[in-house]
Amino acid sequence: MDNHQKKLSPSELFTGFCRIGLSGFGGVLPWARRTIVEKEKWLSPEEFSAMLGICQIAPGPNIMNLAVCVGSKFAGVRGAVAAVTGLMFAPIIIVVLLGMLYECYSFMPAVQGLLRGISAVGVGLIASTGLKMLRTEFRYPPMLMAVALTMIIAIYFHLALGWVVLITAPFALLIAWRKTQHD
Amino acid sequence: MISPLISLFLKLSAFSLVAFGGINALLPVLLKITVEQEHWIDVQTFSDFFAIAQAAPGPNGLIVALIGWKVSGLLGALVATLAICWPSSIMIFFLQRYLNNMQDLRAQRTIQFAAGSLAVGLVLSSSWELALQIDQSTAAYALTALAVALTLFTRWHPLYLIALGGLVGVLGFI
Repeated sequence: MDNHQKKLSPSELFTGFCRIGLSGFGGVLPWARRTIVEKEKWLSPEEFSAMLGICQIAPGPNIMNLAVCVGSKFAGVRGAVAAVTGLMFAPIIIVVLLGMLYECYSFMPAVQGLLRGISAVGVGLIASTGLKMLRTEFRYPPMLMAVALTMIIAIYFHLALGWVVLITAPFALLIAWRKTQHD
Repeated sequence: MISPLISLFLKLSAFSLVAFGGINALLPVLLKITVEQEHWIDVQTFSDFFAIAQAAPGPNGLIVALIGWKVSGLLGALVATLAICWPSSIMIFFLQRYLNNMQDLRAQRTIQFAAGSLAVGLVLSSSWELALQIDQSTAAYALTALAVALTLFTRWHPLYLIALGGLVGVLGFI
């Protein structure tokens, strides 16, 4: 599948993902696509979507998974490490600086209000990500049972994340197996 | 008595592997560990850190770095971020090779569909639990609902929504 065999050095991957990390206000993925596919042309749109699909189903932060996949495709383990480091390096510094500012100014009512407003929107953003993902599940309605089971176990029974995954995974796999038959 | 840093590292590492749906799915767990079990921060600080990580550039998962920083400074921020990265990074490294080389296409698609449904369920339950913890007033719930509606029915960039939320908050409505 790698007929053109493009090579990227770890340092190119580092700087590329540095830019992605820094530009990602309000979600990094759109910026990752813009940089990787449109500007740098490291991957074709199809390659990008296929890779992102795997990254989104795997556990862990999606964007970090993407950095691992892109980095290892072009420069093996060193590429993966370079991409992840590039992605996280500057944002960690910024977020810690913001944390220091927070220590100084969090007593001010305006700052408290600001953060309350932003966090309420943040919860909404996560919920709508979930709802957008839910749309695709309607293509095979029985799959909604797996989603519902996950939610019931997580919300109603308050089980830890690990247990939720362990209990629902066999059920989800069973329905998914039938879904592939259905398609 | 193990040091907070080691305990944070071990717990976050363990959850990294089951966090289908990314950090978003992990947030209620993070809240439980840091607020209810270890008492490193209170709910208000957690909520504020969540807001800072949302508004800052970079992956939203950096709330983990803020919590690590609170626990033990810059080293804490690095250790917490590393903990959240390494297990899932190693897993995706091998998983993508495995899935790409898989001959049985049906099994491949089964894994993808199943993992997808787990991710949806976990992200939705996570946002539900977060709303209960973070939204402390009716106005906050309304703002959350408005953000959901605007994301689903308009093409507004998330940054505008964050700015809107911040503005409403500064004006003292939340």
